Amino acid sequence: MLPVYLLNTIMATFIIITVYFVLYSLYGFLPAILSSILLIFSPRDFMPYLWGQWPERFAYAFIPIILYCFYKYYLSYNETEKKGLYFYLTAIFLGIQLLIHPLVFFHSVVSLAVLYALLFLKFRKFAFNLKHIIAGFLIFAVLFLAFPIQTFNIFSTLGIDPGEKQKSDFELGRLFQWSLNPKDYAGSVPPSYFSFSEMHGLWTLPFLLAGIAILVIRRQERDLFMLAWLISLYLILHRDFIGKATFLHRSLSATAHIFAPLTAIGAVYIVTLFRIPDNTKKYVKYALAGVFIYFIFSVNFAYAAKLLNKDTYNDFFSTLNEPEYKAAQWVLENVPPAYNVSILGIPHADKFVSVTSKKIRWMGAASQRVNRFYYLLDDDQKDGYARNNYVMLDYTMVGPINDVELYNDMQQFEKEKLANRTLVYDNDNIKVYKP
Amino acid sequence: MSMTPEKKEFAIFALVSMLAVLISGFMLFGAAGARIALGVFFLSLPFYLILDNFELSPGEKSVFSLLMGLTLFSSMVYLSGLVISFRISILLTFILLIIFNVIIKKLKLFNVKS
Repeated sequence: MLPVYLLNTIMATFIIITVYFVLYSLYGFLPAILSSILLIFSPRDFMPYLWGQWPERFAYAFIPIILYCFYKYYLSYNETEKKGLYFYLTAIFLGIQLLIHPLVFFHSVVSLAVLYALLFLKFRKFAFNLKHIIAGFLIFAVLFLAFPIQTFNIFSTLGIDPGEKQKSDFELGRLFQWSLNPKDYAGSVPPSYFSFSEMHGLWTLPFLLAGIAILVIRRQERDLFMLAWLISLYLILHRDFIGKATFLHRSLSATAHIFAPLTAIGAVYIVTLFRIPDNTKKYVKYALAGVFIYFIFSVNFAYAAKLLNKDTYNDFFSTLNEPEYKAAQWVLENVPPAYNVSILGIPHADKFVSVTSKKIRWMGAASQRVNRFYYLLDDDQKDGYARNNYVMLDYTMVGPINDVELYNDMQQFEKEKLANRTLVYDNDNIKVYKP
Repeated sequence: MSMTPEKKEFAIFALVSMLAVLISGFMLFGAAGARIALGVFFLSLPFYLILDNFELSPGEKSVFSLLMGLTLFSSMVYLSGLVISFRISILLTFILLIIFNVIIKKLKLFNVKS
């Protein structure tokens, strides 16, 4: 059986395939292969797995495909021959994306609006076919209704969440910034996550700027495709201005998906900005591609190798310690799959939870069971949840952080609620009780 | 059955890619890794055959079917698996999609490929 977190990791790599495919279709082999190789070593893509396995990673692979399908539909649209195939494919992929994660679905909707606007400005063609729209909507509705509880849940999160971090001050300066303030996300992701040089490598900046300049100067339809992709990400990253700041930093993880292709386009086409003979241009282009690959391996690959060293990301609060890992293995082998595990002892106070929730997910990954912070359950859920599921008391962290209150609470809980339950695991300061 | 040079080139590319994925899957995760790679191919195949009825490039068919296979196939299996066993629902979903493809082909249901 393939654990769901490993499956998430494998699926998170699909962005490399879809970016390659779209770039190959629009610009040919060289920009496509350079983009994909650069993307392989993008820390904002591989680190989320270690930072807490964000489930929306796979959904990002659909953005270029959705844009591509709509782009093909728009370009092939004419009044005499109405073929809606690409429109229906857009609807299918949008529906699938919504099922994976609504955050990225809304990202795609904004991207489609921007792409439509840019193509309309260029071609002055109003692609609107009622038959296609109705059929596309029906396809989308079927997918939407396939998992109604999950999808209708989106509406409850569309309103402003009182716990959500809202921007009350209008900061004009942020309009000119791509990234976010690392201090606002302390404990969730490290400051390096917000650094261009650490996430992309400073060497990519001239090529990236050249790529954007080339697209803006040429403005061919494929260039508008790339610009729409870039503009929509900018809009998504500034959605806090309309009061939607939830998971804002997660949207930043989509940056490399557009920056890598723009950087590759810059490297391949920068030579077109200069007046030099055609045959010389060809040699310069391949020489630059060689330089590009050299930098990928000497900078990005080297940085990725350093990051992925287990000593770099081992952390007391976010990853499993040895006794926890052993307990998770025991759960994997001994707890029936139908049962969840409530955990007490992993610090759950506000100052810890953004980091320790990763530990809970790692516990879930290693044990292949749903794990919950017992203390963070709703009060009316607690008794039933603890009664019907396994309970794990993890005393390995309370000592080192000297949390006497949590220790006393756990002791009391054990005496009052677990007195009549069977202790099935007791090892290295971790106990597990059977329901 | 004759193949166009474009299709032939793509078939070779697809075969080499699949072998590379199979081998690296096996090297990283052993037999389970190779099974996963084969599983992805198995999930995508019916969608590739269905998309083959439309005027799409081989690359489009491959990428679209890969994404559809991983998501739509597993969703269909999950939904039918709520009433029957998951193993049977995997097989049933595969067979139903293949039958759907045959129906499209025979009846020229969408009539979009020249």
